Amino acid sequence: MKILVLVKEVPDMERVKFDSERGVVDRSSAEAEINPFDESALQAAVDLKEQLRTQEGARAGTRPEGDTEAGSHAETEEPAEITVLTMGPPRAEKSLRDAYARGADRCVLLTDRAFGGSDTCATARTLAAAVRRLGGFDLILCGEKSVDGDTAQVGAETAEFLGLPHAYYAEKISLSVAEAFVTVENLGGRKQIRRLTLPAVVGVTKNIASPKLPTVRRKLESLEISIETIGLEDLNGLLTADETGFKGSPTKVAKIRVPEELQKENLLIREDADRFIRVVGEKLVERGIIQEGCR
Amino acid sequence: MREQIIRELIDITGPDYVTADREQIQSYIFDQVEETYRPEPSRDFVVVKPGRTEEVSQIMKLASREKIPVVVRGGGTGLAGGCTPIYSSIVISMERMNRIVEIDADNMMAVLEAGVTLMELLTELEKYEGLSFPVHPGDEGAQMGGMAVTNAGGARAVRHGVMRKHIMGVEAVLPSGEVLELGGKLIKNNAGYNLTQLLLGSEGTLAVITRVILKIYPKDKYSATIVAPFPHFENACRAVMDILKSGSVPLAVEYMDKRLFVGTAEMLGLEWQAKEGDSDLLIILSEKTEEQLYNSVREINEICRKNSCLETLFAGKKREQDELLLVRSQHYEYIKNDICDSFDMAVPVSQVPAFIGDLKHLAEEYHTGTNVIAHIADGNVHNDILYVDGKIPNYAAELKQRMYDACFSHGGTITGEHGVGKIRVNDLLRQKDPAELELMRGIKKVFDPDNIMNPGTVI
Amino acid sequence: MMGGENSMKNENGFGGILVIAEQCGGEIHRVSYELLNKASGLKRRPDTALDCLLLGPAGLAAQELNFRGADTVYYIQGEEFEQQEELFYKENIVDFIREKKPETVLMGATAFGRSLAPRVAAALGTGLTADCTDLQLDEDGRLIQIRPAFSDNIFAHIRTAADPQMATVRYKEFREAKRDEKLPVKIEVRRPCRSADVLSQVVENIPLGDLDISEAEVIVAAGRGVRRKEDLEMLSELAQALGGQLGVSRALVDAGMAPSARQVGYSGNRVKPKVYIACGISGAPQHLAGMKESDMIVAVNTDPSAPIFRLADYGFVGDLYEIVPQMIAAWGKGGRQADRSGRPADDEGTADGERPVESAEGGLEQ
Repeated sequence: MKILVLVKEVPDMERVKFDSERGVVDRSSAEAEINPFDESALQAAVDLKEQLRTQEGARAGTRPEGDTEAGSHAETEEPAEITVLTMGPPRAEKSLRDAYARGADRCVLLTDRAFGGSDTCATARTLAAAVRRLGGFDLILCGEKSVDGDTAQVGAETAEFLGLPHAYYAEKISLSVAEAFVTVENLGGRKQIRRLTLPAVVGVTKNIASPKLPTVRRKLESLEISIETIGLEDLNGLLTADETGFKGSPTKVAKIRVPEELQKENLLIREDADRFIRVVGEKLVERGIIQEGCR
Repeated sequence: MREQIIRELIDITGPDYVTADREQIQSYIFDQVEETYRPEPSRDFVVVKPGRTEEVSQIMKLASREKIPVVVRGGGTGLAGGCTPIYSSIVISMERMNRIVEIDADNMMAVLEAGVTLMELLTELEKYEGLSFPVHPGDEGAQMGGMAVTNAGGARAVRHGVMRKHIMGVEAVLPSGEVLELGGKLIKNNAGYNLTQLLLGSEGTLAVITRVILKIYPKDKYSATIVAPFPHFENACRAVMDILKSGSVPLAVEYMDKRLFVGTAEMLGLEWQAKEGDSDLLIILSEKTEEQLYNSVREINEICRKNSCLETLFAGKKREQDELLLVRSQHYEYIKNDICDSFDMAVPVSQVPAFIGDLKHLAEEYHTGTNVIAHIADGNVHNDILYVDGKIPNYAAELKQRMYDACFSHGGTITGEHGVGKIRVNDLLRQKDPAELELMRGIKKVFDPDNIMNPGTVI
Repeated sequence: MMGGENSMKNENGFGGILVIAEQCGGEIHRVSYELLNKASGLKRRPDTALDCLLLGPAGLAAQELNFRGADTVYYIQGEEFEQQEELFYKENIVDFIREKKPETVLMGATAFGRSLAPRVAAALGTGLTADCTDLQLDEDGRLIQIRPAFSDNIFAHIRTAADPQMATVRYKEFREAKRDEKLPVKIEVRRPCRSADVLSQVVENIPLGDLDISEAEVIVAAGRGVRRKEDLEMLSELAQALGGQLGVSRALVDAGMAPSARQVGYSGNRVKPKVYIACGISGAPQHLAGMKESDMIVAVNTDPSAPIFRLADYGFVGDLYEIVPQMIAAWGKGGRQADRSGRPADDEGTADGERPVESAEGGLEQ
């Protein structure tokens, strides 16, 4: 089983600051980290690998005696390989090292100046090309969305470019030989169990797995590993320069507005209950909490 | 409370900031002491919320004239009953005096009104590149005045010491109403007795602190927490001493009985990830550069390994570290229904293993248990006495005395950080020499001749 | 459709606005009406076509979409659409868009919409702006799509260079289009197509259980001012009327009046709802730490100096036992009473007192 996890590097949202005057996100204000949703996807991959290992172990245990060669083979070969792929600037390799610490077997950085300025469509196209190039994945996991862009588009768009089925909001995945059964957390007010033919793309919620802490040993090892990189040249025949980066992006950000901290109205009403209900009622209507026609 | 007093208080602060309404004063009675050990409160008190030092001064003049006890209330996060009024009193709540007067980045000091909460201070310092304040008693609702006057501690004392180390000066109002400026933005100041330091740890029995000058520090940008599980408690203790000797001083080293980590995590819907071993340490590191951080991690991991540590875990993200700290800090919710008294003793670091061993043996002797939670690298040990069948056991007083005796035999103190408050006044008599107690009483009399400042506290 | 005249097409041959309606469980999702309302303000010219695409099983009240302002409702009928599965929807939507070439395509940013729209956009090779909170027209009549990012800390203004320009729009961001039964009903029923293999199938649907309060859009929180456990009912009622959840302060949890799952605070749930209504909560710092990020804070307390008022946008000094029943009376009947799925109850229908049943020209199956 070959599992691919798509991750994005994002700024730590608890610390990142915004400049309302210049309308920019001050990325230097916060450490970059793996998008928390993607971290859950990676943990889900690690858990799936562990399950497969247990199953395989059980199967090896029931093998008829005398089949020692196959038995020893099963012990040495890992039942699954986890590859982590991220697209970003060279510094994003730091997140890949973190992914290694958390259980990834192979880490690939998709980086090239030509990829800069990609919108979700171009990003998905580029990722799809890289996935084709790496080849052979049975299951592709990603977080349901990123905490910075919050578009929740790239997973499904990548699936479309790869011609694979996808499911979002997965809180549970179980694998059989050629299928995945996915429990979708909330679609139209209900849970859904979905059968996907493999290979497939699955976007997961945080509920699928709580990321576990890496060991200190693996964390220290991760500082030393080498990271594979893929650039535009490596995608020859799969992606052209016009299909990626700023050029390949149908959407353009015209401007960014950072709303100034709203001044609280801080209105304190005494005794006049009607006025209080009227004033707050108007605000509730404004915010779509209640319909008009009430006070 | 007499109508006349309430009227005069209203004259000082305005009607919105004075209340004696039974319902409204409910939230001004207790701090966070266990219910069983709370002091018996008076229900006849008035809460006043001054907005300026001048108003505090007028309130004190009124109280002195009428000889009415005054209890000053900060964030209400104390653990010794210090802010609970036990006589008919005026409770001064400092919540409105929450102005950040100055962040002086040149002298690296902050001037703050007493009601500024730790959270407000930390939020403000976030705005300045690379500034921070290290003392953290656990609850960020704590106010600066309260933290100063109780000499608050917390887990980070291993590296940064306690509140006393960081207060350079205070503005204080005496019972007479006189306003004093003590200390200042001075690193060196050798003129006469240090009254600032005298007020720190006085728990509201000498004067009202209305303003503090606080030392602030450059922020360590990189931090990590190591979860280190050991096969035995002794291994963990030896590792702690080796770490302290190594020169890589962690921000904090926290110990809790393993079942408390496991149980609290489960209560919070989390999972304690160190499955093996018998004793876990949380070792919190913080450094200026990433390289320094990993060097410390390497070094400390090596020390743990030499002391037979099992597979160590690494929490590098804020979220991950917060989660570990949450488990550490929420253990109280996990055990609170089982315990009738809890302690805050401290011994020299080298004595911690022997002392905790004594506590466990004592519990065994009484066929009961005790939960041990320790800021292990600064010798501060929290443990408790358990209910038996939902009641305070008849041996509770005796067991407490024997725990204290064990503590004293290791050169310890009955309170490392929570203070004496109203719940350990009698215990203090067991620790201190009569001559020292007499001096304390004398000092109290000089400041507060009518004994109106938080009577029933400390001494 | 999409304007019969060439003049209504842009230089790429695309013209008009298409709203893709959502349905689930035999009902049209209300976000569809919100989309129609917003779309009506985005016409380049008064006669720009505003059409609706509805994919669903037979028997849906498609004419409702006409009453809310759709010129033509294209109703692709198929029982398969009862299952929310992206590939089948995508194939049918993409075929339709390729045929009709609308310049603008709007979908609801519901859970399903957010999963489906990117596939549609990618299949068409066009851009998509997800989760918009506002849409405007620029001087050329093209869309400026405004969406929050970075946890709502910034707003990006986005243009799409390709056609169609696609956006999903947040639910409850806009008001619904007014319903007008006099508007002409024009429904064109179509049959679905399926060309590809079935790679994705819904095996089972399971109703949802409880949701935690940290996700609630509205929280009505109770504190020490509530005297008895039974009195929490009243606040629950207010919460329900506003489609929200009941929260409590630590004092009530400690007093055993509420489970800690409802606790808001530093040591409880940290919440960030659209509206936070604190009733009888004085505002201990540990409580404030858990809710100060709420978009709008309303507080009711008898103590005018309660710290909660410093944080509140709107405060009322008074007894919650008097004011809360008035709040329920005033706002209750207008509440959208969204259930846990975010699918609203049919409050509008009951307000009107009837549900349209007359058959429309497109042949509505009953």
